[in-house]
Amino acid sequence: MNQQELKDKLAEIKDKLTDIQQPLDDRISLLCEAENAYAVNKFLFEEVPLRFVIATGIDAEHCFEILYHFAYDQLGCFVTVKAFIRDRENPAIESIAPFLPGAEWIEREIHDLLGIDFKNHPDMRRLILADDWPEGVYPLRKKMAGEIAKQWPCETSVRPTTESPARRTVKLSKPVLAVGPFHPLQEEMEFFQLSIDGEIVTDIDMRISYNHRGIEGISETLQFDQVPFLVSRVCGICSASHPLAYVQAVEDIAGVTPPERALYVRVIINELERIHSHMLWVGLAGHFIGYDTVFMWAWKYREPVLDLLEEITGNRNNYGNVKVGGCREDIPDETVPKILQEIDKLEKKTEMLTKAVLDDPIIHARLKGIGVLTKEDAIKYAVTGPTARGSGIAIDVRRDDPYAVYADLDWKVITQPEGDVFAKAVVRLLEVLEAVKIIRQAVKKLPKGPVAVEVKEIPPGEGCGHAEAPRGETFHYVRSDGGNRPVRHKIRAPSFVNVPSFRASCIGEHISDVTITLAAVDPCYSCTERLAIVDGRGSILHGYEELHRLSCEKTARLKKEIGPPEWKLEDF
Amino acid sequence: MNWKMWSLKKSPWVFHVNTGACNNCDIEIVNLLTPKFDVERFGIKLVGSPRHADALLVTGVGTRQAVIRLREVYRQTPKPCVVFCMGACACGTGIFEGGYHVAGPVDKIIREVDPNAIIAYVPGCPPKPEAMISGVVKALSAI
Amino acid sequence: MSIPLNILFWIVVIPGTVVIGLIASWIVRKVSALVQWRVGPPLLQPLYDIMKLMGKEILVPQEAQQTIFIAAPLVSLAGILLLSIMLWRIAIVQTAFLGDIIVAIYLMTLPSLALILGSSASASPHASIGTAREMKLVMGYELSLVLAFIVVIIKTGGQISLAAIAQQAPVLSISGFLAFLVALLCIQAKLGFVPFDIAEAETELGSGVLMEYSGALLAVWKLAQAVMLVALPLFLVIVFLGGFGAHFLVGLGKYVLALVLIILIKNTNPRVRIDQAMKFFWFYCGITLVIAIILAMIGYYSGIKWL
Repeated sequence: MNQQELKDKLAEIKDKLTDIQQPLDDRISLLCEAENAYAVNKFLFEEVPLRFVIATGIDAEHCFEILYHFAYDQLGCFVTVKAFIRDRENPAIESIAPFLPGAEWIEREIHDLLGIDFKNHPDMRRLILADDWPEGVYPLRKKMAGEIAKQWPCETSVRPTTESPARRTVKLSKPVLAVGPFHPLQEEMEFFQLSIDGEIVTDIDMRISYNHRGIEGISETLQFDQVPFLVSRVCGICSASHPLAYVQAVEDIAGVTPPERALYVRVIINELERIHSHMLWVGLAGHFIGYDTVFMWAWKYREPVLDLLEEITGNRNNYGNVKVGGCREDIPDETVPKILQEIDKLEKKTEMLTKAVLDDPIIHARLKGIGVLTKEDAIKYAVTGPTARGSGIAIDVRRDDPYAVYADLDWKVITQPEGDVFAKAVVRLLEVLEAVKIIRQAVKKLPKGPVAVEVKEIPPGEGCGHAEAPRGETFHYVRSDGGNRPVRHKIRAPSFVNVPSFRASCIGEHISDVTITLAAVDPCYSCTERLAIVDGRGSILHGYEELHRLSCEKTARLKKEIGPPEWKLEDF
Repeated sequence: MNWKMWSLKKSPWVFHVNTGACNNCDIEIVNLLTPKFDVERFGIKLVGSPRHADALLVTGVGTRQAVIRLREVYRQTPKPCVVFCMGACACGTGIFEGGYHVAGPVDKIIREVDPNAIIAYVPGCPPKPEAMISGVVKALSAI
Repeated sequence: MSIPLNILFWIVVIPGTVVIGLIASWIVRKVSALVQWRVGPPLLQPLYDIMKLMGKEILVPQEAQQTIFIAAPLVSLAGILLLSIMLWRIAIVQTAFLGDIIVAIYLMTLPSLALILGSSASASPHASIGTAREMKLVMGYELSLVLAFIVVIIKTGGQISLAAIAQQAPVLSISGFLAFLVALLCIQAKLGFVPFDIAEAETELGSGVLMEYSGALLAVWKLAQAVMLVALPLFLVIVFLGGFGAHFLVGLGKYVLALVLIILIKNTNPRVRIDQAMKFFWFYCGITLVIAIILAMIGYYSGIKWL
């Protein structure tokens, strides 16, 4: 559909809306009241159809707003539904999780942080606040901000409870009781708890709160140009993509276009990050299935990329290279031949490894057909990145809504239709080769000129910025009221939508495949370690080490049946 | 200096605790323990249980949810032991200061449990693996 | 053996065993490091580990069975030290008593049993998984080990005396060789080395059977493991490789050979699952040993030595 057709289609639901706004060509806002939001969202998700990105809850002084962000990838367009909740005493809205499982987590988060009740939500439990967080205290409400730590300190001496938190009745023959030895030495109350029947996974429960640092709240206390430093530490390995998405959102508001050289530098840094992130993933995946030499090898070849980034930006991991209006630092001319040299070397090695992986019968047997995420599930859970592209959904922010200079460079979007772990591995390996191509072109076409424009102030308005992080689409929404701090800054990391899809891809799998299935989603490293299998009574049957061992043993078994691979890593 | 501390310096077994980090420091710690850096030369070994540990490598800013566990882990570590705060977040919350879910830097939490704890700081965001090794070795020789 | 040498023996045997055990465990770690292109730990590292553990406080879990929890490592160390004294006596002094092979087998099972008891007493769900596996493993290899010794006993004409067995070198015959291979793998399992380190999983970031132990108790476990590295290969040498014979150094060379074989197997194999291990010991080893027993009996009764 082109722009006009899209607008006509959206006009079909006009009777439920109070207004349609189009501040920019590719940013459409549909305003409505809370009662109609369910119907509007259902229409957008099922009829049009659009891809769900995330929902933002905002405490506007006289009402609550919930913004549902949808994306139309063919045009790179964002359609945002703004639902106004007028009742400030008991804010409530109908949940869209029944037809959109991808919205379950964000509704729980909005409930935690703003106190908005979602009716008919299938599973309204605490998601991201700590277990000892007091009820009724909503950190993102305006008058609460800043006072919370003083008034509600942590309990100093809490004995671990016998009930593992966030437990719900599992539909097994044995009901789940709140007993069972809760061992004080467990690697935390587990992040993922899987219930099994024999050796097959039947259900998954996830609890996240350990890494919640309240970044969105802190962002409201910082000035616009301080925020990039904060958001690059949202996740260590996507640390170039988060600031990029944020500054693009702010540049939308301010109507600023950075100079061309800055856009090329941004592309180079982000693609280098993509390479080292995928190499990290390759190493971890190898470790999980017992190919420890792959682990050592991948991390060894990752090091030159990190050294290169250190030379350009000053740090191996948190680059701090973007600011509103351009880049903070330039790539010195002496570094350019070094970049080309390193990526040439890396390209050769990656090509050999890709070919070896694609031909190895053991890896085929180990990874094919495992952890399948069907295309329908992938759409329902609103996944992005290699997780989506491995299931045949051809979305890539760099092509759909080109930012920086991706539109001027020649590269391909890699997709695989099967949806299993093997497909996702192939997608990631081939993306490394594409990234190499992109960097080579960008470096050769790097124009001369300044790397930043001066931005004096940010006018009132709102902006959406997104970037393709190694794990998927990173989305930032920023609202400004003309001051020098954001009024609201919503951050959606790609893992937030990818990790819940683990439920769809893991149920029905054997426990020896659990670690590699989770790894295929590529959550942050420490997330995969917080994995455990519980029995009906909540006691741990298999910890992460056990699951890892089972995974390696399955590979060894397959190796015996099929025979060792023809290639050896020492040949590389 | 008594023989307990001397032998602890010769054979420090480490246990890694993540109290809410962005994972950069954790990845660098994993880097540290690969054969490339070969910390077994110093007698350093990664153990899977705090009961076997002499040094806790703590990363992260100390979120409210994670500090409960941090206190337990510290209690379960047999004394004498050293707590290494790895990274700017662990040393003093860094840019996350004042956040509503941040329960305070790691040393404040550890001192609530044990006012006489031995704590060493390795700053950086993230500290390079070489910096971590240097920090650990320096701290151990200074004890 | 003359009286002063005898006295020297009794003074030196326990410290000497401990020292050789620590050196042996260093050799194992150093070789593993070299295989991975690393430098590896310094020579005294195992000693430092044990000294450090002695200096740490001992934490006993609240729900643990305290007596058994504390007694288990001590029993393990006592059993294996006793075994090593007995074996050194047989090897060097060449005195023995009737039925000492039975005492030896009994003492060899003590460390495994103590491990099972100790970890069961820790009241830990993680350790209990390891305990269950260790129990299954013990049931797997004990029978194979005993059958392997029966082969040797048959070959030596039914003498249940280690000194007599030590005069011969059963490994130089087919049945003896088969029995030696099986016994070597059983020793590998008993030591808790790869491919049979299912229970303790030293290389993994693991919970293991010893998860709840700390401080001096853990030091005793580690010491017992080090002494096992002396006693068990020594046992192999005495039973299969012909004992120490006339020269102490020849015997020591045989001990080093046995140790090298154990290290080789450790470094070239991945870990197996518990049911694979059980199948291996009961089925493959069992069949091998039945063949070996038949060959040994044929060889003995028909006087063919090399069978």
